[in-house]
Amino acid sequence: MVASGTGTQLAIGCEDGSVKIFQVVPGGIQFERNLDRRKGRVLCLSWHRSGTHIVAGSIDFFRVIDVASGQTVQRIMVNHQVEKAKRECVVWAIALLSSGTVVSADSFGRVQFWDWEQGTLAESHTVSTSAALSLAVSEKEDSIVVGTSTGATYQLQLLPVKLGGLEKCWVRTKPFQFHSHDVRAVAHSSTALISGGLDAQLVIRPLMEKVQKKGYDAVLRKFTFPHRRLVSCARKARLLLFQFSQYLELWRLGSTEETGKDGEVLPPCRMPEHLVQLKSKGPEHIYCSCVSPCGTWVGYSTASRFQLYRVRCDGDGVSLRKVPKVPKLLPPAYQLQFSADSESLFVASARGSVHVFQLLEPGGCKHLHTLQPPSGCSEAVYLLAPSADGHWLAAVSGDWAIHIYNLKCFQHHCVVPAYSCAVSALAIHPSTNNLVIAYSDQQLFEFSIPEKQYTSWSRAVQSRGLHRTWLERDSPITHITFNPKNPAHILLHDTYLLCILDKSLPLPDDSTLLMNQSTLKQLPETARKRQLHAFKICKKFQPLLFMDLLDENCLVVVERPIMDFKTQLPLAVQQKKFGT
Amino acid sequence: RPATENIRILTESSYFLGKDKSKFLYLLCASGDFVKVYSVNTEETLRLMGGHADLVTGIQLNPHNHMQLYSSSLDGTIKLWDFMDGIPIKVSSLGFYLHLHFYPLSGPHSSVLLLVSDRFFFLWSDTFQLVSVKLTKGAGQDLESKELSVVLDGVGASVKHIAFGREGAYVVSVKDVTLQVYFFKRKLLNRFSLSTVKTKGGDNRFSCVVCHPTEDCIATGHADGKIRLWRNFHHRKEYTYSTLHWHHDIVMDLAFSVEGTRLLSGGVESVLVQWHNESSCQKDFLPRLGSPIEYISMSSDGALCCTLHTDNRITIINSNLRFSRSIQGLIKSRDVKTGLVVDPRTKALVLNGEPGHLQFYSLQSDQQLFSLDIVQRQYIHQAGLKQSDLVKVAFSAQGTWLATVEESEEVTDPELQLKLWFYSEETQSFTLNTRINTPHDNHITDMCFRDMDELGDDSLILVTTGRDCVFKVWVMVEDTDPEGKSAHESVSWSCDFVGSYHNYQATNCCFSEDGSLLAVSFEETVTVWDSLTWDLKCTFCHPPGNIRNICFGRLTCSKYLIGATDYGFLCCWNLLTCALEWSAHLNIVVLQPDPLSEHIAAVSWLSKESSLFVFKPNEPRPLYIQRNLCKEKILLAAFVPRDEPETISSEKYLWLRKSQLFFLTDTQELMTLSTKSLEERLTPSSKQLAVEESLPVTPFSLLLGKHRHQQAQEDTDLGKPVVHNKQEQASPAVKELLHTPAHVLPSASFLCTIFINSLLISKENKSAEEVADEVEMESEKADGDSDEEDVTVMEQEDTSPMELLGEMTCKLSKSQEKELRKIRKMDYSWIAAF
Repeated sequence: MVASGTGTQLAIGCEDGSVKIFQVVPGGIQFERNLDRRKGRVLCLSWHRSGTHIVAGSIDFFRVIDVASGQTVQRIMVNHQVEKAKRECVVWAIALLSSGTVVSADSFGRVQFWDWEQGTLAESHTVSTSAALSLAVSEKEDSIVVGTSTGATYQLQLLPVKLGGLEKCWVRTKPFQFHSHDVRAVAHSSTALISGGLDAQLVIRPLMEKVQKKGYDAVLRKFTFPHRRLVSCARKARLLLFQFSQYLELWRLGSTEETGKDGEVLPPCRMPEHLVQLKSKGPEHIYCSCVSPCGTWVGYSTASRFQLYRVRCDGDGVSLRKVPKVPKLLPPAYQLQFSADSESLFVASARGSVHVFQLLEPGGCKHLHTLQPPSGCSEAVYLLAPSADGHWLAAVSGDWAIHIYNLKCFQHHCVVPAYSCAVSALAIHPSTNNLVIAYSDQQLFEFSIPEKQYTSWSRAVQSRGLHRTWLERDSPITHITFNPKNPAHILLHDTYLLCILDKSLPLPDDSTLLMNQSTLKQLPETARKRQLHAFKICKKFQPLLFMDLLDENCLVVVERPIMDFKTQLPLAVQQKKFGT
Repeated sequence: RPATENIRILTESSYFLGKDKSKFLYLLCASGDFVKVYSVNTEETLRLMGGHADLVTGIQLNPHNHMQLYSSSLDGTIKLWDFMDGIPIKVSSLGFYLHLHFYPLSGPHSSVLLLVSDRFFFLWSDTFQLVSVKLTKGAGQDLESKELSVVLDGVGASVKHIAFGREGAYVVSVKDVTLQVYFFKRKLLNRFSLSTVKTKGGDNRFSCVVCHPTEDCIATGHADGKIRLWRNFHHRKEYTYSTLHWHHDIVMDLAFSVEGTRLLSGGVESVLVQWHNESSCQKDFLPRLGSPIEYISMSSDGALCCTLHTDNRITIINSNLRFSRSIQGLIKSRDVKTGLVVDPRTKALVLNGEPGHLQFYSLQSDQQLFSLDIVQRQYIHQAGLKQSDLVKVAFSAQGTWLATVEESEEVTDPELQLKLWFYSEETQSFTLNTRINTPHDNHITDMCFRDMDELGDDSLILVTTGRDCVFKVWVMVEDTDPEGKSAHESVSWSCDFVGSYHNYQATNCCFSEDGSLLAVSFEETVTVWDSLTWDLKCTFCHPPGNIRNICFGRLTCSKYLIGATDYGFLCCWNLLTCALEWSAHLNIVVLQPDPLSEHIAAVSWLSKESSLFVFKPNEPRPLYIQRNLCKEKILLAAFVPRDEPETISSEKYLWLRKSQLFFLTDTQELMTLSTKSLEERLTPSSKQLAVEESLPVTPFSLLLGKHRHQQAQEDTDLGKPVVHNKQEQASPAVKELLHTPAHVLPSASFLCTIFINSLLISKENKSAEEVADEVEMESEKADGDSDEEDVTVMEQEDTSPMELLGEMTCKLSKSQEKELRKIRKMDYSWIAAF
């Protein structure tokens, strides 16, 4: 399925060999017509930039279809010259360049350049011994990225044959091997090659020659987990809700009564308990989920539906009951958040709006109010943070603006000054009502909601600058929480570390070691005092999905070992490695 | 002064194939101080172009005339040669340059050369510059070129580190991890650096660079075996490269095909890899080339390519990557452990060749006769792997038996094998007769056969000495079950006697000429044993210091035993009196007796120079001394018997009459002492070859050849230096006759007289006396030299060295000189009579 360059039309290739054109209308799509149907399943499609032609790749051939007439104007066999013609050649990816050149990536590992009008092969590059699966062309059409089934991606560049000359040819330049399995999707941004594979990794490889300054963009990024909170915690009920793509799991935490020293593993007196698994209906993925702090409400949302459940724990048994007559939301929720007293639910929605539902015993809900930014907003809200006293709500929309609402009077309170980066996490301090914001460029801000301005600590951090090691970290902060016992403590975590930020301690400068916990342990008490700084970092748990403070002396940490899902992956393509 | 002939190993050389219009392919190769011209079709050396005083560092065809060749040398000169005739056309001296490679640029930069040099003598900092030099147009012998300009700084010294781009538009230089591109027209210098960090076995240092012939693409080889193809390198930022990776170790050289569609690469794997269309998926291999590839070169028409290997071999390969032929001189092995041994049968020099092989090298033709696989195991090119190698070799007197010792490189526990090979007349090669595992418990230090020509096979005895403090005597025994076996298969070798002396390590062994005595050295002591009863006859020692070498005197001097010790003493013991006859204080490293005469050659190593002493054991005075033979340490020497005794005019070289002396230095250069000067040796051969080549093989040419041969024979019979001017007079007429097309030739009657005249032996222009005089003059000079040297060298019981020195420095009057000459003349006639 590919949209045309203007975004007004959608072409869909079908198994039966037909290509269907849909008109994109506000709020949906409308079938327009069928294009010329030929035998052979359509595996890939590409529009010409002008929208006049579509090229459709099939097994052993691809064809060029004129959109206006709907007729196939050219049909080219791709394995014409290959000796081993018995094997079928699958065209996995195709691109139609504005110059009229068709680029095909096939199962023989070739990237071929065709002049479709003449029906001739211009260039052929065998990039891999296994199949080439995906293809993406840069905006300028001078660079192509190809993903293969061995997990390698290759860049092809259109380079002048002679320096300063007009004649150009495609040259395979940079190979990257960051995936272990099929690279199913690739994208070409102006400064980076992006690839996603079957090994559940997203890799962003910057093109150093295009990156203007050294910064976040200039470093290779690998993502295994989404930068979203996938786990929610009912603090009081000690429940954890895990969000999977098709289902939710509710667990009761185990506990121990023993105490021990640092590093010891204590025997649990009560084992963690899998309470219930809640499968979502239909093929849709779960977009967001939440469990209320009291543990009695569970809500989730897919792309089309929003569901709310009432959890009843009677003794050992747990029952889930769907809350009837949940107000229909269109589109459904982008983020769900229960208030601290579990009496209301905040639903982040499109156009910057936040719906407030009142939760009713014994199992009902009522739409209370819709909060909206006064100036209006086209982007959806994706992060919510209610205050513990139920007075405030902070909402972040896709345009990165943070709006703060007063929940007592359902009014817009203020906007946090705009910052040029996406917000990755935010939370309101339970006692001071300071909003702590973590941005994707690893900057930290503290904004006082009552005073509508940044706090002096935040100003001090900004003037001083954060430690370089902190700023060069790979993954953004995904969750912020606070220590009720010590208001100066802010607890943060990303995929690789959890950090206790102690505002009472001095900030580290670049000359000191950021991760100094292990060295501190070896120092005597007096020397330790001098070495202390605000960032207390623990890297023991990796990769870290979730961390929350249950009560004053209990912290829950959810770790998802990479090997857990690596072992579930299918076997990688066998490759002979030298020296093995 | 005698000229020392260097047959250098091709370690630092570049070469390429040139093609002339007559479809005759030449391969040009810089070899030591010479440029060699090989015929690709016949693999023969056509010409040897000498004249450089030091190592030739680069050769390049003249882009304006493909029959001309530029060569550069460490002596600071550039020569332009006509390589068809081997004549230097132009010599440009650049005085202060020490190290040069150069590239003549074509196109707009006509007659501009680019050189790599260390112009300011920054020897210690190894900074080399790329300099352009404008050569003067005129032809002449010694032209000074002063128009210099520096193009690039800090370039690599090797010829592989610099390449010229398409049509000479830019020059590329690599060094360490930096690539520099200089565009001549735009005067733009781009510098690209790779990371120096060695991750996951990666090593980004550059090893070589070549440029695509038609496109703007640079191919670089790297130390970790990667090949990078650079493009868009006129952009400082948006340059890009792709990587090809097959080699597991350093890429030694790269070459593009003429069209640029194929790229050849080679390295230590001894595999030539051909990459198609710069794609890493399409590649072909030519494996098992024998030894690491050092250089790769394409012929100008693209039909052939050749690889130069580290063991001094050139392999010529077809364009379809099929092995075509190889040009093989002396194979350079990693370490010559066997010593220089002469095969009595073929008179070939025998030493370590390929790993585990024994090479038979013909000195006359500078070719390998054959290679005998001794170890018979696959050699794996991998650093740190302990593999078996051949360490000792010995031939019996007739060359019918060959004994070899191989050991693994383990120091503590060498796996030893002694193998005895018999020469089979049918197969014309050696066949394995006996294999003895662990003949000694420790390294074998020496091995020799009892050389007795007259007694036949039954008296054949092999003695081995080992560090396990014993020497062992091996004899042939008849097999008890000789069924269905030929005479030589029915024998095998077994140990007959084990001797030891005070539990000292046995280091050397040697039989006397008649085979009755065996001398074995045990650390400080030489023991002499009766070879019949194996009784210890007597012992000699010259403390302090272990015995390094021993040998018996020969012929008239067979009663002497010579030994050299660690502490720098050369001793001669009389076996009849069992007493020290004489000794001299010399640090002898090589002691080599001539098998055909009484002479013994000793090479000393002192203060970074090797000196040669030739002496007879019965005289403590050396016959011949050559100080400062070469700067390298001479490790081995061998006397090779001449096919026929050479006529030697000067008394000084009489000891070279029957055999020729060869040396091998620690850099594996094979050298010999020649009695003729360099020019004498070079010119006749090259001229002869030129004429012979142009002659078609007809009955007439055969007649002509015969005629010439006779002439040469006469010359040699006269016992005088060969006078070649007769031939030279004759050849133009003959040449003219043969080269002019038939339809433009004058009538046969006209030509007849000229032709007949050319065949007649013209009378000598010079009178016999004059010629004799000239010879005398030479010999006198030579004598004077040798006297002088004698004086400075002798430290033995010489009587009047100091006075002699004084005499030689004062000048003689003309009359005195004449008188002296006359006396000398008389002396000579005396010697000649004997």
